Amino acid sequence: MAKSSAAMPVNPHDKNRVTWKKDWARNKTVYFVFIPVAIYIIITHYLPMFGVVMAFQNFSLAKGVFGSRFVGFDNFVELFTGDAFLNAFKNTAIMSAFTLVIGFLPGIVYALMLSEVRNKKFKRTVQMISYLPNFVAPVVVTNLVKLFLGNDGPLTALLTTLGLPQQNWLANADPPVFWLIHTFMGIWQSLGFGSIMLMSAIAGINGDLMEAAAIDGATCMQRIMKITIPCIAPILGMSFVLNVAVSFRTIGGNVLLLYMPQTYSVADCLYTYTHRMAFGSAPDMGLSAASNLFQSVLGTVLLIGGNILAGKINSDARLF
Amino acid sequence: MRTGKKTKVKEGMVEHLTVGNHIANFLIHACLIMVAVVSLLPMWHVLMSSFSDGFSLLSFKGVAVLPVGKPTLEGYRLIFRDSSLWIGYGNTIFYVIGTISLGFVLNVLGGYALSQDTKGRGLMYAFLFITMLFSGGVIPTYMVMNSLGLVGNRFVIILLGATQTFYLVFAAKSFSAVPVSTVEAARIDGAGHIRVMFQIVLPQARGMFFITVLNTFVASWNGWYEASVYMASDKTKWPIQLFINEMTNANVNFLETATPNYSRYLIQFAVIVVATLPIMLAMPFFQDKIEAGQLQGGVKG
Repeated sequence: MAKSSAAMPVNPHDKNRVTWKKDWARNKTVYFVFIPVAIYIIITHYLPMFGVVMAFQNFSLAKGVFGSRFVGFDNFVELFTGDAFLNAFKNTAIMSAFTLVIGFLPGIVYALMLSEVRNKKFKRTVQMISYLPNFVAPVVVTNLVKLFLGNDGPLTALLTTLGLPQQNWLANADPPVFWLIHTFMGIWQSLGFGSIMLMSAIAGINGDLMEAAAIDGATCMQRIMKITIPCIAPILGMSFVLNVAVSFRTIGGNVLLLYMPQTYSVADCLYTYTHRMAFGSAPDMGLSAASNLFQSVLGTVLLIGGNILAGKINSDARLF
Repeated sequence: MRTGKKTKVKEGMVEHLTVGNHIANFLIHACLIMVAVVSLLPMWHVLMSSFSDGFSLLSFKGVAVLPVGKPTLEGYRLIFRDSSLWIGYGNTIFYVIGTISLGFVLNVLGGYALSQDTKGRGLMYAFLFITMLFSGGVIPTYMVMNSLGLVGNRFVIILLGATQTFYLVFAAKSFSAVPVSTVEAARIDGAGHIRVMFQIVLPQARGMFFITVLNTFVASWNGWYEASVYMASDKTKWPIQLFINEMTNANVNFLETATPNYSRYLIQFAVIVVATLPIMLAMPFFQDKIEAGQLQGGVKG
């Protein structure tokens, strides 16, 4: 390896051989072109990063970041000694786990079933229809959930015939109810759309393997268990690991539209807690920023950890 | 030759299908049809409800497979009378066009800069990747916008939705796929960077670029959060999604009253249809683009 690279002829355009001065002379315009983008990223991403100091302040909107008093770790102490934040943390973890554990299997089963269909037109039609929920606005989806699971909703009626009490299911604060609603709503939204990756992985499996197995008399089930699943296992593992990190960051967007004061005990999560502390009726910006920082650091740790783990499973699978 | 062989094998497989295989096949098709039905049913219910007679709809409990009561266009007539909804649609269209335009410019510029073979390319990439790892979050962003005087300003929605690190990297990837020889030939012929960007590279990468535009369109058409934070009290700047949210939330309490006004119930369905149907109808034409975009993005989102 080292030998071959040493033997390679020296490329006159090798980046390392060009001095910064020459590079600037040649590519000035390229750098100028990047300036608007840099300004955009600085305003929307880098400047807010300095906002973390708010987490260490008794922040008031009137005084601003420079006028507010620093209080050290007081906000964090307040967070971890109160119930609301710990409750939100617990719910975030539980909802992430629900989404991952319950939401993972249907996607695989769906993709496997779809890959067995020979009729191309049927397959494409089902696929397209299953993508559609992903494009329905979150506001509309949550409204549909409220409508279908409300006191007089069709799904409530179905559950009532199964022997469950008639009620507005979204106002039910008993433990698994809200979590299940949130999970199944997520499955409805992303089943088809989430299967795109898997479908392409299955399509990429060497066709000769399948043919050989079929000629040798393997049944459909045998082919799935012995060929398809082992072949897509690395991708499954990778997307699972990375989804852990991503779901911890993103869980809560739907909850914000779905929850109500009665269900805070089971529905409140870091995202909604942070939001409510900042923009709710009794805001405490410092506390909100502390919660935000905690969530953000945890998300980063999980993302980096997930990425390393994904790289161990499959070196091509890393996100960065 | 090869394809001929393949079909032969497949035909052979069909001949050897056992009874069990037939049953499995049938079950698979049945399950998939069910997935399709479940995916469509909620929106179908909304569509049919919007054509329903408002009064019968109120007492109807179930999924509307067909319009409930006598089919009417009353719901849509009510939209025309409600000026606030027109404001909502106007704002949404304004935000969508603004976001896509700003995003397009930024993605072309950023993608081009990142795709060129410069000494500073690594630095530029690092500059972007840091934002993927560390984010200030909602509140610090709000404070920055506040100090820039943008809270309550329509531009803030466009600014925050225009592009993301991911789109910029994606743009760079699609620009890099354009053959270097084409670019170099144009450069030797005396074309400047800007000219190469818009006249040589962009047309060749337009397929990939379209995916980003499509994603931006869906996100900004369906967006509600930024508006709810930055212009919570100013209804004249609300996008349609916030009006839908307000209307449906109000209706939840409203329906508990003794004599609910059915027209307010009916109009919510009509509004959802008008806000959702365009996307639903357009998406099937872009199936390949949607899939390509998702594959490029990997597990993102």
